[in-house]
Amino acid sequence: MVERLLDSMTLGRKVQRILTLIILLVLAACTSREVIVEGTFPTPLVDPVPVSVGVLFTQEFREHELVDDATGRGEVSWRVSTGTAQVEFWSTLFPAFFQNVVFIESYEDLQTYDVDAVLIPQVADVQYAIPLYTNVKVYEIWMRYNLALVEPEQIIDEENATISLENMQPFAEWPLTAYGKTPTAFMQSDIDAVNLAAVMALRDAGANFITSFLRVPGVMDWIENPEEAQ
Amino acid sequence: MRRTLLSGLMLGGLLGGCVTANVDEMTFDAPVAGMTDGSIVILGRRHAPDYDTEPDFIDCIGNHISRGSESISVIPERQFVDALYPWFEPRTAPLSIESVGRLMILPSVANKLEDLGLNYMIWIDGRTQDTNSSGSMTCGIGPTGAGCFGFGTWGTESEYEATIWNFDDGAEVGKMSALTSGQSYMPAVVVPIPIIAPVQDTACDSLGTQLLQYLSAGS
Repeated sequence: MVERLLDSMTLGRKVQRILTLIILLVLAACTSREVIVEGTFPTPLVDPVPVSVGVLFTQEFREHELVDDATGRGEVSWRVSTGTAQVEFWSTLFPAFFQNVVFIESYEDLQTYDVDAVLIPQVADVQYAIPLYTNVKVYEIWMRYNLALVEPEQIIDEENATISLENMQPFAEWPLTAYGKTPTAFMQSDIDAVNLAAVMALRDAGANFITSFLRVPGVMDWIENPEEAQ
Repeated sequence: MRRTLLSGLMLGGLLGGCVTANVDEMTFDAPVAGMTDGSIVILGRRHAPDYDTEPDFIDCIGNHISRGSESISVIPERQFVDALYPWFEPRTAPLSIESVGRLMILPSVANKLEDLGLNYMIWIDGRTQDTNSSGSMTCGIGPTGAGCFGFGTWGTESEYEATIWNFDDGAEVGKMSALTSGQSYMPAVVVPIPIIAPVQDTACDSLGTQLLQYLSAGS
């Protein structure tokens, strides 16, 4: 359609192509927003829990993104990639929260390291709200995680020499919710505001994890006797 | 020359006459003693569902106090909150001085607060928001140039309350508030000329001055 419109004008081929490209770029910029969540995350100030934990970030967790395609006129498509920030944030938090932490990346890691349990965080849901939709002058992000603590043997698939989460039976499993918001500010773009809200949500997830971990059913028994409680 | 001078006088009168700011100050507890040397932290409340106390307002108050007294060291908000993460996040921040006492049971938190040598913690709760707007403006672009014509006006209101916690006594020792409002205007004859009421800046000066007087009393 853009090309047909430009055809009706008396312009050279080259100028037409450049104009088409510019118009398409402008239209694309108006209808989609892409955020790769970035931030700096502090090391938590806590007295470490005396256990040795393996942390397993799944592929879905590492590459998590929220995709919301526009469905009507005036709406904007959003793609919010949280995976990298999730890994960065939890990789800062867990080693400070537990006395000993190793990051499990392969079957060999599981065989090599002697850990009391493996902690597997998974992002169950991420939702967002922007002032355009809510008429409230804040950008908001909600996150919901499912966390599981499992014996290392539960996720070892010796036959195929790989890690398998299919038949695992965690001895502790719990949901974790987080919320972050940031108000509208002068000269702040939608993308910056959503990024800031996501960073706040991650910080809130960490705060919720730290303050609720010892109340999770099964966790206290495990901490008191890591070898037998499982 | 006379015409230029007259125009300048009219513009100056317009600017001065249109920008108004009202300040309402209240101090509930009279200052009892000032601090000679020590550190304070100023923190914004961020747990309300529909607003956050603006970080730049917190910085403004901190700068006001730092400029006013060389003996008072103001710990930047972000630095303090990060150093004590996750205990001063919206979910976990203490709402009363008694809650800080419960937080001090954690050895790591108690040690960090001792390292910082904190004398006072000041919580600021409030926001600046536009209240009403009216007028209309039309802008156009043509082969010979672009321009706007019209008039717009809007009101702004700031409302902030500061609560002071004395760490040495473990007690809440005072509350102060500042309420400012103003009307901003934007006439446009070809070029829009914004005449902005410095509402938030006035609230910052007002609250900053009150806090400085409180912290410096008797010193």
